[in-house]
Amino acid sequence: MPRNISQQWLHGFLDLCLLCLLADRRDYGRGLVERLAEVGFDEVPGGTLYPALLRLEKQGLVRTEKEVSPSGPPRKYYELTDLGRATMHERRGAWIQFRAAMSAVVEAPAARSGRE
Amino acid sequence: MMLLTVASISLQEMIRRRVALLFVFLLPLVFYVVRIDVHWQAIRFLSVGVGWAVATLALFSHVGARRLDRRLTVIGASPTALFFGRQVALAAVGVFVAGVYFGLVAVTQEDLPHLAGVALLLVTTVLIGAPLGALVSLVISRELEGALALLSIMALQLLVDPAGAAARLLPLWSTRELTAYAIQGHGSGSLSSGTIHFALMMAACVLIGWGAGVLRLRAVRVSPVPVQESPHATLK
Amino acid sequence: MADDWGMLLFRHLIDAGIEEAEAGELTDDALAEAAAAGVEPGSMYGPALTYAGALARTVRQATRHAAPPPRRRDAIVLRLRNVTKRYRRRQVLREVNLDLRAGEVAAVIGANGSGKSTLLNICAGLTRASSGTVQRTERIGYAPQHEGVAPLLTPAEHFRLFGAACRMNRKEAVSVGSQLAAQLGWRPRRNVVASHLSGGTRQKLNVVLSELNGPDLILLDEPYQGFDQDSYVDFWDQVFRWRNGGAGVLVVSHMLHDLDRVDHVLELQPVGES
Repeated sequence: MPRNISQQWLHGFLDLCLLCLLADRRDYGRGLVERLAEVGFDEVPGGTLYPALLRLEKQGLVRTEKEVSPSGPPRKYYELTDLGRATMHERRGAWIQFRAAMSAVVEAPAARSGRE
Repeated sequence: MMLLTVASISLQEMIRRRVALLFVFLLPLVFYVVRIDVHWQAIRFLSVGVGWAVATLALFSHVGARRLDRRLTVIGASPTALFFGRQVALAAVGVFVAGVYFGLVAVTQEDLPHLAGVALLLVTTVLIGAPLGALVSLVISRELEGALALLSIMALQLLVDPAGAAARLLPLWSTRELTAYAIQGHGSGSLSSGTIHFALMMAACVLIGWGAGVLRLRAVRVSPVPVQESPHATLK
Repeated sequence: MADDWGMLLFRHLIDAGIEEAEAGELTDDALAEAAAAGVEPGSMYGPALTYAGALARTVRQATRHAAPPPRRRDAIVLRLRNVTKRYRRRQVLREVNLDLRAGEVAAVIGANGSGKSTLLNICAGLTRASSGTVQRTERIGYAPQHEGVAPLLTPAEHFRLFGAACRMNRKEAVSVGSQLAAQLGWRPRRNVVASHLSGGTRQKLNVVLSELNGPDLILLDEPYQGFDQDSYVDFWDQVFRWRNGGAGVLVVSHMLHDLDRVDHVLELQPVGES
């Protein structure tokens, strides 16, 4: 159960976040969690992250590769496919529109009430 | 074929009703043992007990299957196959029980005039018991009340004087007659009247049971859909 | 400790209908990731049961996204015209109209007592309408709300019985039944009779039986009683899979979710209220 509301929101956008992070550079599971934490999200639990990555893999948006890691057992690395890259661009466009609409509704009234 | 599938699955289902099976097997035994000193009464009680037990098993089986049978007919199963499939399974159980008890009688009784007659009377009893139970299930659609009705029939069967006119209306009258033939050496008159009554009674029970079952289960005929329809001609 | 968790995960994945080979792969991957991170799998993924559920749903949904065929607006599979139903003095249904085509989903909603189940029974042919006309295709599937399954029979025996009613042979019926069950996240176990299944699983059996013969019209009466949230979602996935496959589906419901994805909404009022 999500601890707070921003956790719930992230659930909805997790796939998009992962696609964008992977567009930047390929990574493994823990690495993605760390990068999300760096920008200010709460730590995403493994029970949420890995099914999301599996979903992307099943949809053909990422491919996986096992690689020997410098410290310890081999890790599974995720990388965007061409389809993944195309989908990411598409969804990024949709997000930008969505964000504009949200800002118009959520942020503007705050500015208005500040004026009063 | 559908009928065989229904029969084998009904049989599986019956075997899982352990308590009911226990009654079917043990009640007649109790009846037999209680009267074992008077051998003709013992066999009479045994046979009516076996008939009652199979009839009650049939009642429970048909009542229990009612909902599922309706669902099956909706998707196109034949009510006839459903009825007879179940009856075949019940008859199989009944004949098995009859066989076991025939063995018991053969072992525990001596000097019976027509031992084969005992086999006949047990088998005919179960062959009436199965459709009788189905028939009662159609009239009284609840297990407890139906079992009470069967109990009443059995009690009447045991108490009524077989020579009386009304006695022939009771379903297991033939059993009584055949008992007289097998045990009391009454001769072929009893044999033939018993067999004829059995044949008629069984036919009647089966026909009425089957007919009523078909009527009850028959799905409402629904007209087929018009084939050529333009999507623009729809009303909401 | 990790091994126990791994075994549980594997078992739960199988129970949820995932093929053994894939379940093995998923388990191995999960354990490897946890080992690589130096964390106990239990703390990394949570309880094995929940994680298995999440993975299984992802696998199932992936097959849905894989190829949604275009919807066909085809022949009418069910047509109701001014259907009314009266029991002695009480009027239960008043002038119901509906045209349902292959590849469409209709939801019948209404409060309790508004005649939803009666309408479904009329469509199935269990009851006759008092007036009006009912026309429907011949091959239908039907899942009643209560007691649609035999408590003393195993799932496989149900498949055989229902298959035989539609002229399927034994092997075919059991195989089709098992595949359909897997799509609802359920692997039927042999020798477990229906009364020993949980309520939600029993309802899954109910739903599978309604589509066993590949019908053109599927009638369902509030089939998700006892479903958890995941099963509810799986059920609606299944409804839309039926739709995409070209069947018409009529679902009686009192739940109002997912109505925006449905093609027709038929709202019944208890007669006596306007």
